Amino acid sequence: MNPIRKQRVYALMAIAGGSILAVFLVVSALSKNLNLFYSPTDLLNNELSPDTLIRAGGMVREGSIKRSNNSLNIEFVVTDFKNDLTINYSGILPDLFSEKAGVVVQGYLEKEGSFRAIEVLAKHDENYMPPEVAKLMENAE
Amino acid sequence: MIAELGHIFLISSLVLSLSGGISAFFLKKELPIQKFALLMTLLVTGAFFALIYSFVIDDFSVAYVAQNSNINLPIYYKFAATWGAHEGSLILWILSMNLWLLAFLSFNKSGSINFSNIVFGVCSLVIFSFLLFTIFTSNPFERILPVPPLNGADLNPSLQDFAFTVHPPLLYFGYSGLLLPFAISIAAMLSSVPNRDWASASRPWTLLAGSFLTVGIGLGSWWAYYELGWGGWWFWDPVENAAFIPWLLTVALVHSLIVTENRNLFINWSLLLSIFAFAASLLGTFLVRSGILTSVHAFALDPERGLFLLGIFSFFVLGGLIIFAFKNSTKNQSSDYSINSKEFGLLLNNLLLVVLAVSILFGTLYPLIYEAYTGGKQISVGAPYFEFIIFPFSLMLGLLQGIALYLSWGSTKSFNFLGKLIIESLSIFLLTLILLFVLFEDLIPASFITIFIFAWLISGSIFFNFSFRSLEKYLDFINRRIGVLLSHVGMAILVLGVGVVSSYSNEKELILDPGDKIKFHNKDIEFLGIRDVKGPNYISKAAEIRVIDDNRSFELQTEKRTYFPSGQVTTEAGIETGIFGDFYVSMGDNFNGDSWSFKLQSKPFIRWIWFGALLITLGTFVSSINMVRRLS
Repeated sequence: MNPIRKQRVYALMAIAGGSILAVFLVVSALSKNLNLFYSPTDLLNNELSPDTLIRAGGMVREGSIKRSNNSLNIEFVVTDFKNDLTINYSGILPDLFSEKAGVVVQGYLEKEGSFRAIEVLAKHDENYMPPEVAKLMENAE
Repeated sequence: MIAELGHIFLISSLVLSLSGGISAFFLKKELPIQKFALLMTLLVTGAFFALIYSFVIDDFSVAYVAQNSNINLPIYYKFAATWGAHEGSLILWILSMNLWLLAFLSFNKSGSINFSNIVFGVCSLVIFSFLLFTIFTSNPFERILPVPPLNGADLNPSLQDFAFTVHPPLLYFGYSGLLLPFAISIAAMLSSVPNRDWASASRPWTLLAGSFLTVGIGLGSWWAYYELGWGGWWFWDPVENAAFIPWLLTVALVHSLIVTENRNLFINWSLLLSIFAFAASLLGTFLVRSGILTSVHAFALDPERGLFLLGIFSFFVLGGLIIFAFKNSTKNQSSDYSINSKEFGLLLNNLLLVVLAVSILFGTLYPLIYEAYTGGKQISVGAPYFEFIIFPFSLMLGLLQGIALYLSWGSTKSFNFLGKLIIESLSIFLLTLILLFVLFEDLIPASFITIFIFAWLISGSIFFNFSFRSLEKYLDFINRRIGVLLSHVGMAILVLGVGVVSSYSNEKELILDPGDKIKFHNKDIEFLGIRDVKGPNYISKAAEIRVIDDNRSFELQTEKRTYFPSGQVTTEAGIETGIFGDFYVSMGDNFNGDSWSFKLQSKPFIRWIWFGALLITLGTFVSSINMVRRLS
């Protein structure tokens, strides 16, 4: 083969190999690691398997935060102003978590319709509402 | 008055950059472009100082100052607040683009007049578009009249911090530095400079931009680690990806330009990569500031701004690609290389880096694609996606980097190669044993891979030209290639840090009463009690923690601060830093009386991540300075 053609073959082989690998990785990674966002209303009549990791969110309902006195367990209610969802979480909450603030949680929908959060997502800025929640609020108005 | 002056400075540099940019494109004769660039730089510097001045004198009639400062804000942070939000950071961005252009024109003595003119022209037009964007959608000098507020809102408390004051300028400097390789590639396509010349003109600036990007990203990671109080150092947030993607492309470009300069190969590839690296930095800006992606970093979100930025992005990137499509075909490629050559190694390097960058970009944009495709369903792509993607790529890149420096142009003599590999294998064996001995009681596959790659990279960087017979020659060689060595060793150290901290971190959340003692990770921890602290613009509850290690005892303090006037609460972590690991404690919520929840973490080797990044910064910086010196 002449050198230039040989170089092209190398380059093509490398590019084809790289692309196949990338597509394979991206597809298999996406199939496992996507988390859909649900509002409390979405979850009302939803038959989700309790093993599916999802995101949910809304506004933390005033007066709904119940702490345990001697453990890190906490229960609160998020609302999209149509329906409510009870969230259970065990752990330290982010500084910006408060009543009447928007929150996004990641976790599993339990059989009884309550939500077991494994992560409560923090945000940086006081004025900043998670976009998913902001959209819910817009729809409610 | 001063604010109006700043505004006038901005408008005059807008006019200058447009007229200068256009005339440099069309007049094919020698123009005083350097003086022109100096004038533009001075004007933007003037505007920048006008903004700083407005902050320092608490001129709350300027809307931007009113939103981002406060009378009680310490003076140091009043300076930093200048670039604390969208409008001011744009001014800084424009200023740094001007400085890059000025530096290029002052040091670059090679190239035809036409070439320098076009570089100047492209840079001026980009600067013009950013000025236009600033003045029409994000003017920091806008006044609140007739009734200005008596006091400002405040600077976001988590930004009131040392790292924050330096992280954004350095990162913006890196982002905006990618303007130069872009302008140089456009100039290379429009003028007839030999490939060698434009590649060697582009290399030092690409390296320097990479250097700033590295330190900017590293500082951001360090800041997030100690300031956000979660102990994480990378979150795969869109805003982080927006910086990581250009970084990957810059690293690819730095390597591909080596081939273009030395072998007259990969010419089209280097040209395209220069366009894409710049495109990635613009895309990052667009994603972060238009608010279309969910990010933990909040900029003022405004669809109009997003549209404007998208316009700038499309204009320059499409423009660049059109020029690329219609340029004269490159005088091609005469040199031959085989599969065991440096050329092929660098080809693989580029391929891996670019494919990785594209995969990360895809994950970052996927929520948008999904939402558009499904008609509004919202989805998030979590950290596991990115971790899953990056692991095999890092592994392959690591394996490649370990032998990369052994390879020669054309084809590598297998005898030398084998000899060096033997030295390398021995040193790897030793390094691995030592590390295993020092570090771990238990071994999991991930940590074995980490240590192996670390040893592979270290020996591949240090021993690649080693021989006992000519030690002097070796030292001389090290001296000449110090930049490469530093950055490659830095990469090794970074990899070790990432690997170890990902596999061996420990954490525990619990509630403690004053006087409680517990054991955590062979440390005895005692919660001594709570103190009230009053800072210049906050009050805080500070918890005193005593830690007794095997052979020493120290006290840490973690705080829950409430900043006024915003009332925002932040957590200040207490961190005992160490070469082999950090102990990290942060305060959670208050329970009865003085009983609080705490999060304890051990973070082995986390410092190595930032130390590695620092070495890469240093290495690329040194290389770049040496190249500039050689050129001028």
